[in-house]
Amino acid sequence: MIEFHNVTKRFEGGYEALSNVSLKLDEGQMAFITGHSGAGKSTLLKIIALIEKPTRGQALLNRVNLNTMSRRRIPYIRRNIGIIFQDHQLLFDRSVFDNVALPLHIQGYRPQEIAKRTRAALDKVGLLHKEKSLPITLSGGEQQRVGIARAVVHKPMLLLADEPTGNLDPELSREIMQIFVDFNQVGVTVLVASHDLDLIDELDKPRITLNRGKLILNDLEDAPQEADGGWQ
Amino acid sequence: MVAGSNIRHKKLATSNRISAYLLHHLQSLRFSLRKIYEAPATTIMTVAVIGITLSLPGGFYLFLKNIDAISGDFRSSSQISLFLDLDLSEKQARALDKKIAKIELVDSTRFISRDKSLEDFRQDSGFGKSIDTLSTNPLPHTIIVEPVEADTFAVRNLLKSLQAMPEVKIAKLDTEWLERLYTIIEIARRSVAIITILFACAVLLIIGNTIRLDIQNRYQEIIVTKLIGATDAFIRRPFLYGGVWYGLLGGIISWLIVEIGYLAISGPLERLNLLYKSDMNLITFSFHDFIILITSSTLLGLAGSWIAVARHLNQIEPT
Repeated sequence: MIEFHNVTKRFEGGYEALSNVSLKLDEGQMAFITGHSGAGKSTLLKIIALIEKPTRGQALLNRVNLNTMSRRRIPYIRRNIGIIFQDHQLLFDRSVFDNVALPLHIQGYRPQEIAKRTRAALDKVGLLHKEKSLPITLSGGEQQRVGIARAVVHKPMLLLADEPTGNLDPELSREIMQIFVDFNQVGVTVLVASHDLDLIDELDKPRITLNRGKLILNDLEDAPQEADGGWQ
Repeated sequence: MVAGSNIRHKKLATSNRISAYLLHHLQSLRFSLRKIYEAPATTIMTVAVIGITLSLPGGFYLFLKNIDAISGDFRSSSQISLFLDLDLSEKQARALDKKIAKIELVDSTRFISRDKSLEDFRQDSGFGKSIDTLSTNPLPHTIIVEPVEADTFAVRNLLKSLQAMPEVKIAKLDTEWLERLYTIIEIARRSVAIITILFACAVLLIIGNTIRLDIQNRYQEIIVTKLIGATDAFIRRPFLYGGVWYGLLGGIISWLIVEIGYLAISGPLERLNLLYKSDMNLITFSFHDFIILITSSTLLGLAGSWIAVARHLNQIEPT
């Protein structure tokens, strides 16, 4: 599903967020990215979500080269991904229902289909009764669950989560992580960046650890090394 | 390795895509109307500025149209007066009149004999008694020539050929003042064109700026929708509809302003008509003019928002 071959991301000013990272996440797997803040967790996710491009090396999503993706194709590639943010990025001028329905609107589903799928997604995160509420009236954990519902409503093949439990207490964090595990069990590939090591320990999932942009621990099977033509 | 072999492109079937496309247009339209409804103060101010701005060229245009209508009456009156030689008998003069009437460029002629001229003069001038003291009639036979075309060049050629006739003593075409008037109208016409262009640019800027602020206000929403796979066209659409509404409403307001303005001056103008015994009618926007005004202001709205969207939307990318 995801392949990184010697990916380096250097920002203007020379700061290297990722150095020579190679990894491979298979379809249907679930993994955690851990490391201190500034270790490069977010940058790794941003490369997969086509927000950043590698400076060197090659990033593939389902064998599609993300380095050379044209601007026009980016939206269509992103529709395969569900992204969950630490600050959940909900739109506060519309209801919970409308927030969750947004990806379906973008993809042009019919209104009946939108209503059906949106309610199903809200039901999955246990918030069906709040569909008419405004996000501002919800608690932090509920807002994050709305964010998750929005990320999964269009049934993406890949879920990316950047510190999804960052602002939540341990009890709520556990609930949120359990939702990810549930999705993984029905076949969705899940990649979660988190520094909540206690919680990660409870879940027996492979781990990728970054330190200052370098991969220092990789429970996943190694990325195939023969891909040496991956320079940009 | 086959690029894209596995990835789902998440595009729908064509028929579904077309109905989805229409559906989103409808949603964008509704959404942009809701924005107007939710922020009436901003909308009213923007629309009022556009209306006032467009009412200026609109008003000037109507002014010109009225001047044109008046001067059109003059245009048809570019006659040539031929004063014939005094030695010519009335018979000879009438023969000449018939000859001239047959010239291609001549529409019609009117013959005024010396005696008739004197009689008219006697009645109109009030010098009846003094005229009686004259031993001979000093007035010549006169032929009034009505040219076919009002075009000055053709008329001038006709004048030359008529002047060349031996029987004609003086051929007179009093068009100089008319030409001056036409020149002034032409200057006014071009000024209105310049003003229209400038004010159209102003409207573009106003709408562009309003849409730019709108884009800034919805920065977060744009980022989020981009992240969940919205195409540029999807994000653009509600803003373009917003521009169209601004242009349309602004056009209607400018029309109202001009109509009310003309209503306000129509009273004194009618009095002026009475005083001058003229039958000048005030012309306002025709239905055709109205459609042109509304269409162009709507297109200006679309163009203004398009410029703003093209300039600013691409700069907003998730980081």
